[in-house]
Amino acid sequence: MKFKLGLLAALAAGMFGVTGAHAQSYAISNARIITVSGAAIDRGTVVIRDGLIEAVGANITPPADAKVFDAGGATVYPGFFDAGTNLGIQAPQRPAPGPGGQAGQAGQAAQSTPSISNYPEGLRPEDVIALELSATESQFESARNAGFTTALTTGRTGIFNGQSAVINLAGDSVGAMIVKSPAALHISFATISGRYPGSLLGMMSATRQLFYDARRHQELQRMYEADPRGLRRPAADLSLEALIPALDRRMPVVFHANREMEIVRALELAKEFNLRTIILGGQESGKVIDRLKAANASVIFSMNLPKRTTAASPDADPEPLETLRFRAEAPKTAGLLRSADIPFAFHSGGLTNMADFFTNAGIVVQGGLSRDALIRGLTLGAAEIFGIADRTGSIDAGKIANLAVVRGDLFDRTRTVTHVFVDGKLFEPKVPATPAAGTPGTTPAAIGGRYTITVDVPGQPMPGTLVLTPQPGNVLTGSLETALGPATARDGKVTGNNFEFTTTVILEGQEMVIFVRGSVTGNTVSGTVESPQGTVPFSGTKIP
Amino acid sequence: MRKALVATITAALLALGVSAQTGEVLIKNATILTASRGTIENSDILIRDGKIARIASNISAGSGARVIDATGKFVTPGIIDAHSHTMMNAVNEGSLSVTSMTRIRDVLNPRDVAIYRGLAGGVTAALLLHGSANAIGGQSSTVKFKYGRDMEDFLVEGAPEGIKFAMGENPKRSSQTFTGGQTPRYPRTRMGVLETMRDAFVRARDYKQSLDDFRAKKTRVPPRRDMELEPLVEILEGRRLVHAHGYRSDEQLNLLRLAEEFGFRVGTLQHGLEAYKFAPEIAKHGAGVSIFIDSWSYKLEAYDSIPYNAFILWKNGVNVSINSDSNERMRRLNLDAAKVMKYGGVPEQDALQMITLNPAKQLGIDRRTGSVDVNKDADLVIWSEHPFSPYAHVEKTIVEGEIFFDRAEDIARRSQLEAERKQLEALDINKAPGTGGTQPRIPQERIRGDLDDADRDGGHR
Repeated sequence: MKFKLGLLAALAAGMFGVTGAHAQSYAISNARIITVSGAAIDRGTVVIRDGLIEAVGANITPPADAKVFDAGGATVYPGFFDAGTNLGIQAPQRPAPGPGGQAGQAGQAAQSTPSISNYPEGLRPEDVIALELSATESQFESARNAGFTTALTTGRTGIFNGQSAVINLAGDSVGAMIVKSPAALHISFATISGRYPGSLLGMMSATRQLFYDARRHQELQRMYEADPRGLRRPAADLSLEALIPALDRRMPVVFHANREMEIVRALELAKEFNLRTIILGGQESGKVIDRLKAANASVIFSMNLPKRTTAASPDADPEPLETLRFRAEAPKTAGLLRSADIPFAFHSGGLTNMADFFTNAGIVVQGGLSRDALIRGLTLGAAEIFGIADRTGSIDAGKIANLAVVRGDLFDRTRTVTHVFVDGKLFEPKVPATPAAGTPGTTPAAIGGRYTITVDVPGQPMPGTLVLTPQPGNVLTGSLETALGPATARDGKVTGNNFEFTTTVILEGQEMVIFVRGSVTGNTVSGTVESPQGTVPFSGTKIP
Repeated sequence: MRKALVATITAALLALGVSAQTGEVLIKNATILTASRGTIENSDILIRDGKIARIASNISAGSGARVIDATGKFVTPGIIDAHSHTMMNAVNEGSLSVTSMTRIRDVLNPRDVAIYRGLAGGVTAALLLHGSANAIGGQSSTVKFKYGRDMEDFLVEGAPEGIKFAMGENPKRSSQTFTGGQTPRYPRTRMGVLETMRDAFVRARDYKQSLDDFRAKKTRVPPRRDMELEPLVEILEGRRLVHAHGYRSDEQLNLLRLAEEFGFRVGTLQHGLEAYKFAPEIAKHGAGVSIFIDSWSYKLEAYDSIPYNAFILWKNGVNVSINSDSNERMRRLNLDAAKVMKYGGVPEQDALQMITLNPAKQLGIDRRTGSVDVNKDADLVIWSEHPFSPYAHVEKTIVEGEIFFDRAEDIARRSQLEAERKQLEALDINKAPGTGGTQPRIPQERIRGDLDDADRDGGHR
């Protein structure tokens, strides 16, 4: 009978979206505990129950019903917070370009997501990223395996990259994953292909005009609410209305700005409209400390440190001194921010291998930031920037049970993340499984081959070679070679004549993840390349 | 520690090309080409607080003044380039035919090394213009070349606002090809360009009316702040100068007529390769003309360009300046000015004015710069020889009393930079990956689609 009741409870819990794993109580004992909010506990216990931290301290006895892990002296950190990602976002469900893909801009426009907005795609601050998320836990595996439990996630493209969400990297539904949504409004120095704003000049002006329009819209709405008689009602405008929380300083604005002048431009816009400013990227923020300080801005520093990735061609000029200096100076930035008391956090910035995150963090420590300050930025510091430090970011009773158990030195390659708790749910990182082999017997799609393509980058069309090699089971391998160097396809898929893959290119010394999708019709290929810089079409023909 | 810090700061300042000097500078015993009052031999110039304080022989320096011996050297006003796209991270917003809402100030890059190269050619100020892709382009910025400083320090305080207009082949996109499904942008003809401008001014007039009505409480709802029309209203009110790119006399004359119809004066006709054909009309209107000294017949609408353009305009009393429109040609505008002495025999001072005082007037900053006169900004160039000699090079370029280029210091600094390079190249982060690294990238010639009249391989486009 007792057993039956327990079963019933478990079923009920399941019905309410709380899995048995959450309800399970755990205790990590014999651990070094980095609480971040207070002093480290050299040897103590953390108790987790029902998704929350129930107790933490040196003299805690694990509850009788808890599953106890002896950490054997390993360190427990608050779960790490990657404060700038595209995690969980599904590729937009646009129809793949057909034979008319070469039609360029007109074709692009026709494929836009339906909206009542007066503004083109990419210039719509009302886009909410939470609506584009999916709740597949496996997609977060590599981040979780590195000890990350929480991420700020936002769109890849456009000037307005969507209102971001802070999510926990596990959960049975999108709603359960979300810690805060919307978290911030995001603005990138991007352009919109083939129409205004098509340059940095237009990006600045269009953004400025939108904020002025939003302010006026708010004024008109107030006038109308106060007394509608004799006034034409202001037309509803979701795009402008979405900017009002930012103008009212209720929502922070994250500017994607890595280099000095991008940061300066972001701060200029922020000043003009009195915005609560967060700089994302910020690898040259050390050059503009005074401005950041004056603007009361925070910085989310990109751990995708600039590095040299290509050998020089024999007849190339030496690299500019500026480039050499940038790579040498970037790791010192976080230390400078700390000294100036500018709030900071960290993000992976498109790093493809999350193990590099902590290797680079070690370089940042060498660059002059204390380990404690770095860990704080990676946990509580990020939570503070997004106003959720009361519920996550440190190991305190009552907070969300987001924890990472690390054996060995966090900043050393020999470290092992042994346990990760996300909302109290336990994950034990394993060696990543090899990609699933395709179902034997299926025929590789007929799209294989080498194609000469042109990527229609506005103003400077970029020639390239696209190699598509379909594998059994709708898997695609291949490569894309352009002036940005060769790039190997990852996560490639083939569906009929349509294909898609992700790859990484090097732009100005930094890794940039791009997403390529397209279709093959006879000897021609066409599609789009999505990058943080925007979406551009490409087209080409097969090399016989 | 403190000593090390001072050394670091000094090194940083040197690296930025800024002399750590304050107070007075005394240039001794120079031949001064004043650009306003002829040549003064064997004279001294005293600079105080960034201004020219005194010009006389045998001025004695106060204690702490930096003394520069200029015996045998020539001093001119700093060169002003009235058409430049230097230090801009974007040149054209080519998506629309009217982009008056865009601002060059938004895209300034004070770290552009082209600024330093310009200083090495004696340039101290420039008019930074939007490109010529649109009938009405963006708002310009007037800057002084204070290389190493922040962006705000470059902007010339009190300089009149400006805006780029463009006529002819560039705004009508005559060389653009279209793939299926792409719609050509309006306008596609010269008459369409003029209509686009007229339409914009009509809209601006209506906008101004709506603002006036609201201010007069005739309407209740505040008009939308229109960033596109605002600068056009400023033109109509005489508060913003139009700098209009164009080549052919017919369309430039049409622009002057359009301006007269709307009651404003055009600031400059830029390029104006056929300006000599209607020089009296330009003089009557009161516009300046800013030209290339050569670059004849380099494209269809430049076929009627002649070497005597500057001379004929000058003869007709038009304010002529010679511009570069190029990071490369900017460095030798002195020789461009020398050419107007050859073609038509413009007197030396008038030729010099075409790269100094005349562009200063066109930019509306002649009260503070453009000639070597007391109370003007100390924007000065010290040349090794007469600046019209092909053997002349710049020894020092001074902006508001500060040395921003010093040839001797530059040469001395090269070994220091080389050492820094070696040190940086030795860092892991700057090392090329060894075996297994990415293949070498062979640099390709990249055609800068965003530059319009800039040169490619030495010729204007």
